[in-house]
Amino acid sequence: MYALALALIAVVLAAVAPRIMARLKVFRRSPRAALVAWQAVSLAAVLSALAVAPAAIPFLTRTHTIACASEECPSAVAAWRTQWWAVLVVAAVVTFAVLLPLLVSGHRIGTRLRAARTRHTELVDVLGDPREEDGTQLRVLAHATPTAYCLPGRRSRVVLTEGALTALPTGELSAVLAHERAHLRGRHDLLLEYFTVLHHSVPGPVRSPEALREVRLLIEALADRAASRASGPVETARALLTLAHGQTPVAGLGAGGQGATAARMRLLADRPLPAPVVALMYLYAAAVVALPLTLLWLAWR
Amino acid sequence: MTTPTSSPASTPRLGELERAVMEQLWDRAAEHPEGESVREVLEGLPAGRDLAYTTVMTVLDRLTKKQLVTRARDGRAWRYRPAGTRESLTAETMRASLEDASDRHAALLHFLDGASPDELAELRAALAEVERRRG
Repeated sequence: MYALALALIAVVLAAVAPRIMARLKVFRRSPRAALVAWQAVSLAAVLSALAVAPAAIPFLTRTHTIACASEECPSAVAAWRTQWWAVLVVAAVVTFAVLLPLLVSGHRIGTRLRAARTRHTELVDVLGDPREEDGTQLRVLAHATPTAYCLPGRRSRVVLTEGALTALPTGELSAVLAHERAHLRGRHDLLLEYFTVLHHSVPGPVRSPEALREVRLLIEALADRAASRASGPVETARALLTLAHGQTPVAGLGAGGQGATAARMRLLADRPLPAPVVALMYLYAAAVVALPLTLLWLAWR
Repeated sequence: MTTPTSSPASTPRLGELERAVMEQLWDRAAEHPEGESVREVLEGLPAGRDLAYTTVMTVLDRLTKKQLVTRARDGRAWRYRPAGTRESLTAETMRASLEDASDRHAALLHFLDGASPDELAELRAALAEVERRRG
């Protein structure tokens, strides 16, 4: 029956597909299409899980009509009623088991992110020297460690240190600024937040850290494409090395990237995937989202 | 109080004022170890003549809420002091941003997620590859 199929698909899309997709490194060469595929898979997983209960309902009502056509109608109806209640409870439990963690982790992570951003914006606004470089409004912090980042949100900021402005030659600086502008313009923070929330709302054994890492890398690769368009892949790669070089003595806190920077560099050497492959990736994304919706439609037909 | 605090047009102006007030509090911290009153802040600001007393009061109030300044009672008025030196707050901001880069719940979007010293050699090799193939 369709409800079982949907439950199975939900598990496959949540637990198996991300692990496979995280290994298909070739798709990093078209980060936009890859991110669409990742969003499609995660959305389809949630849809499938939520559709389990609605898909079970028509099955039960049909059992009811068949039972009543026979002789033992009253007893069958009584039996059906208890069954109906049991299934309703199970369905409700399934729905809440999916929905509740999603809402809870969404709220928790969202609140945390916004609080951290608000505090950081307040500090940057009084400490940072407002400047304009390459058509981008910047806040420059008086610090020797070279670093560049942006604060996403309604009142977004691009922040650089004096150290970064000193270390980066013009071409590399425009690559860095184009990268940050791409993050802000594309609201990559929302994409990242969406995947982080999903990651934390699925049960521990199902969670795949490699999937979240891959998505983060894809988001960076996407912004790197914008940087490449603005000042070329070589300047973008050089900017990565310049900042990595300047940060290593301080960032003893550990490389959060886990090889992500080297992976981004290698991607800058590659050309994007051919158009037919990209088209197939979009097709895959569309098919994955259509699957649970089709099953739900079939269940109610 | 007539000072507009929420109209969209006044927000950037308030932001600039907050910065100007902080700059002044930092620059004159040595002269005013006990902090400055609203009147002293107002008179010290270059644009002071055009500013209303209540505007400066609002700015200081906002900075207090953001914990960027601390205030202490002095008779009937308040005296305001920066919550930290410019250097210590800059260090706090840098620490927060560098720690954030290695956090899975990153609040900021970094150009670089941090690289270990071991990674540098790999990055140099990768750069040579980019220069060879795309240069």
